[in-house]
Amino acid sequence: MHEITSEAVPSVDFKGIRCINNYSEICQDYSPYLCDESKLAHQGAQYLFFPTNEDELSAIFKEMRKKNVTVTLSGARTGLVGGAVPYGGAVVSLERFDEIRGLRYDNQSKEWRVRAQCGVTIRDLNNWAMKKDFPGLFESGSAETKAFLKKYKESDTTYFYPPDPTEMGAALGGTVSTNASGARTYKYGATRNWVRWIRVMVASGEVLEIPRGTYFATPAGEFTIINSAGNKTIVKIPKYAMPHTKNAAGIFSAPNMDLIDLFIGSEGIFGAITEIEVALQKWNNPISIVQFLPSDDTAIDFVIALRKEKSIRPEFIEFYSSHALDLLREKQKEDPKVVGMPSIPDYATSAVFFDLPFDPENKDNDYAKLEKIVSRCGSKLGMSWAGYEQRDLERFRNFRHVLPETVNTIIAERKKKIPELYKLGTDLAVPDHALEEIWGFYTSILERAELEWVAFGHIGNNHIHINIIPRSLKEMKEGLLIYREFAKKAVDLGGTISAEHGIGKIKKEFFSIMFSNKELKEMKAVKNALDPDYMLNPGNVLEIEGT
Amino acid sequence: MLNITTEKCTGCKICEKVCPFGAIVVIDAIAQVQDNCTLCGACVNSCPVDALSIEWKPVSKEELDTFSGIFIWGECEERDKGIAPKKVVRELLAQGRKLADSLDQTLTVVVLGNDKLQGLETLITYGADRVMRCQHTLLGSFTTDSFTNVISAIISKEKPSIFLFGATPHGRELAPRVAARLHCGLTADCTDLEINEKGELIQTRPAFGGNIMASIISPYTRPQMATVRPNVFSFGDPDNARKGEIVNVNVVLSPAAIKTKVVAIERLRNEKEVSIENSDIIVSAGRGCQKKENLKLIQELADTLGGVMAGSRAIVELDWIPHTKQVGQSGLTVGPQLYMAVGISGAIQHLVGMNSAKTIIAINKDPDAPIFKVADFGIVGNAMEILPILIRELTK
Amino acid sequence: MKILICVKQVPEITDVTINPETGTLMREGVDSILNPFCEYAVEMGLDLKRRYSDIQTVAISMGPPQARTALMRCLEMGIDRAILLADMKFAGADTWATAFTLAETIRAMENDFDLIFVGKQAIDGDTAQVGPELSEILNIPQIMYAVGVDLIDTNKKVWVKREIEAGYEIVEIKLPGLISLSKGPMIRSVSSFQEILDARKKELRVVRASELPIDENELGLKGSLTQVIKIFPPQVKKTGIRIDGSEPQGAAKKLIEFLKERKFV
Repeated sequence: MHEITSEAVPSVDFKGIRCINNYSEICQDYSPYLCDESKLAHQGAQYLFFPTNEDELSAIFKEMRKKNVTVTLSGARTGLVGGAVPYGGAVVSLERFDEIRGLRYDNQSKEWRVRAQCGVTIRDLNNWAMKKDFPGLFESGSAETKAFLKKYKESDTTYFYPPDPTEMGAALGGTVSTNASGARTYKYGATRNWVRWIRVMVASGEVLEIPRGTYFATPAGEFTIINSAGNKTIVKIPKYAMPHTKNAAGIFSAPNMDLIDLFIGSEGIFGAITEIEVALQKWNNPISIVQFLPSDDTAIDFVIALRKEKSIRPEFIEFYSSHALDLLREKQKEDPKVVGMPSIPDYATSAVFFDLPFDPENKDNDYAKLEKIVSRCGSKLGMSWAGYEQRDLERFRNFRHVLPETVNTIIAERKKKIPELYKLGTDLAVPDHALEEIWGFYTSILERAELEWVAFGHIGNNHIHINIIPRSLKEMKEGLLIYREFAKKAVDLGGTISAEHGIGKIKKEFFSIMFSNKELKEMKAVKNALDPDYMLNPGNVLEIEGT
Repeated sequence: MLNITTEKCTGCKICEKVCPFGAIVVIDAIAQVQDNCTLCGACVNSCPVDALSIEWKPVSKEELDTFSGIFIWGECEERDKGIAPKKVVRELLAQGRKLADSLDQTLTVVVLGNDKLQGLETLITYGADRVMRCQHTLLGSFTTDSFTNVISAIISKEKPSIFLFGATPHGRELAPRVAARLHCGLTADCTDLEINEKGELIQTRPAFGGNIMASIISPYTRPQMATVRPNVFSFGDPDNARKGEIVNVNVVLSPAAIKTKVVAIERLRNEKEVSIENSDIIVSAGRGCQKKENLKLIQELADTLGGVMAGSRAIVELDWIPHTKQVGQSGLTVGPQLYMAVGISGAIQHLVGMNSAKTIIAINKDPDAPIFKVADFGIVGNAMEILPILIRELTK
Repeated sequence: MKILICVKQVPEITDVTINPETGTLMREGVDSILNPFCEYAVEMGLDLKRRYSDIQTVAISMGPPQARTALMRCLEMGIDRAILLADMKFAGADTWATAFTLAETIRAMENDFDLIFVGKQAIDGDTAQVGPELSEILNIPQIMYAVGVDLIDTNKKVWVKREIEAGYEIVEIKLPGLISLSKGPMIRSVSSFQEILDARKKELRVVRASELPIDENELGLKGSLTQVIKIFPPQVKKTGIRIDGSEPQGAAKKLIEFLKERKFV
């Protein structure tokens, strides 16, 4: 059905809500709330609120609407596109929404589901799920929850929450708002795949409770939202096709779509997601393998062959270009413990990093097919690194993050001499069939340009990060032009300009490469319907005239 | 019981040479044991054809009770052109005295060395009733083999109820060898020693990196042997009026008994430099100092305060400092007046190496660093920024 | 040449905590790993194998059945074969009973060894006693705190660089002998996927007490000469003053005041 009614939230004394209400105090003592990982410069904030529950949040929304003040939602502020950076108005921190609210086994879909408030980090969520210990849940839970908890603990299987963005300190609410992805998206899909239910507070201060599979758009592509007073609002969904890749650009659209998907990935412009129920997945103990290959091209061949081989099911497939390995080699010379692995062998030009389910006790592990693929690509299983013990898995995980961190350190050093410099990173993805073509396109342009660059990332999803590390402002300008070319090519091949990071405030320019003016207008129409006063997250995703 | 497998014996006479008591002789090319054998095991260890073995039978309670005397290995070190007892021996004497008084037994220190041995009288002023002076040219420098032979011989003759070693690097390689030779229980790295109602020695020590304390007894064998962690126990002032005796022991040692040969020595510390164990002030660096070059600051601060630089295992593994300066469970234990931990997180394996310092100061960026749990004064901040200012202010 | 490497599986002690009520160790959820110092011993054995020709390496461990995984790590690193002494009768052994059991096993099964490598200490027991005790029982010379080993006269002599209080010394012994390793490579080695697969085909023999020529009373708890009578958590220290150091100038001044108070300056 396409109609949904929002619930009114009990009123609460606005003055009792914790608030810092002057800019200079916010600047002095609460400056972290004015920025996020994008390092985008903020444009001031008059208020900083710390609501402890939905009642307080609703009171804030109502009061700010009355005063005509915009609201920027703030979670863990780990975003890379400026989504939590205020452009004036009020900042509302959702950090106090940090409880686990429920655990249950859904018999129909045969999966365990956890209900958590938006401020819980995905690191905590995942650790608690795997350790089978949710703090406070037993004490606060109903009898039914207690029973489920007991059953969960007693089960031999380990469960985990699959979406694994590099920054696991991100808030669950943030990852849902941006449809966050990570390496494991290759096998398990993005956050969208795992969200089963949300509570979202719209600009009016009322709350929509949306279980997946309940509210669907009409054939004409419309939803009707009825508020507690009985007033109806019609929301018309844009008519474009989503790219066949993992995607974090633009709002979701599909025929007969589920209402829950409208809010997932909408970067907070339609409402604040306060509580989420996600599904958990069975954990398979993996072995991490870094397969070394003689060239970037053979690495691409290897990935394509690996994907094709149905009997091998990697958890993720990651790529290190030859430049990337060289950068890591230099880092190893400088500080071996940071990289944490033995010297990268001389014969290793490029590398593909993947996890496979692995049972150390099973003597019959048969990897003949894998061996064949590896040798066809000019390498051997002996030319690899592998490990499956907990502490080895950890250092392989750490190895994955060392590269982007090293790039960041180099930029920070160069920024000291050239303050306007910043790292150029792409977040482009294309469909599977276009991998070879886009790689050829990237390398031909980059080689010609003679810039310093590394390539790495989620090659399983054809989502390769190209980091140009500029040595001068001239190089940076050159890099930006090159990125525009890359973005256009990716869209031409049916891909997306933001596979993971979202649009926020920084990627709006590329957004218009991907969507036509007509399509952008259709997205704005949704915003107009759900947030007619343009209160929420000003500056995110859409350019709104007059704001 | 000393068993001789006559078929294996070649009559080489090495056992004759190494026996401290003349209790084994080769007659008609076969070794034979005499009545005065004390089962010290020196011959067993040196027989090149494994023809000798000792069969240990369970000892009765009455037999165990005949063992009497608290003995300490008086480990020496090079000092002022001679060799003299280490500081740890005084720490052991303080504990030993307590145990001796408790059991009403005598306290003896066994000192091994060559003719450069000196300072033995002071051992009496620190509580010894007797000093056994074992002098031999082959004891001029430490070797496990020679020291094991001599100490095992003394123990098997004197039959002490307790034998203590400092858990120094030499102590930890010597004590287990002696314990195995004499088939005695040995507890390593004790931080507390007490006598219980039964007159047994309760030996308490850290385990699991220091996460846990264990109390241990050796109920079936004598002497009860223990190595004691240095710089944990304190000792009082010497009593110059105290009386005791220094006894010269006739040492029988053959070069054949010594199986190791030192080919070269590389000194990392010049003679003037104070070892971290003997320094009252230590400034210690951890991984939080970020790079090797930053250790210059640590050294400067140490110099300014009149102390020495040390470090955690993490930076020794990185080759920033040598192992001679490592503090921790697998390094040295220090008990200075002042210990400053700079950029050290304070994992338990490090804490056990320094938490007996009288005053502990910590500087670390991480407010949750465990070092703050033991620090008397802690600063949550960037040490690399604070240290230069500190040094500047102190040198004014 | 044959090198034996005695290894132990230990809990990863940084994760071990004490139950404050019972004072016992909470080992649930704590991973078991090859003792880091034992891993140094394995690395040294493999280093010699790479540098010199014709060296056979055997890893031996006494432990519960799960200690297999530690031996598997040794095989993955490149050790040729392994022996696991696993039997309830070995349980509860102190260092003496452990050394004795290992010695009898070596005498019975690998008596033609040239070198035994062990790690400096196990990070759970921290006694560093098994190595010297094993050497004494086998009547072979020992060198502790080794950081480097060179073969001088193949099968006949080694030169070992070891740590001493003043620095280092190089010591020579005739083989057979035992060497205890104190240091290994800065970064733990990583096996290749091929080595991991190959390890599963190598020999890992499980030996029970009945296969050894030892009286049951010499094994495990029964054969131990020391007895643990109590386990308790260490004393929790007092907490002192803590200040915020985000302003280095002010922090340095406060520290100097403290040092003056305590008469260090």
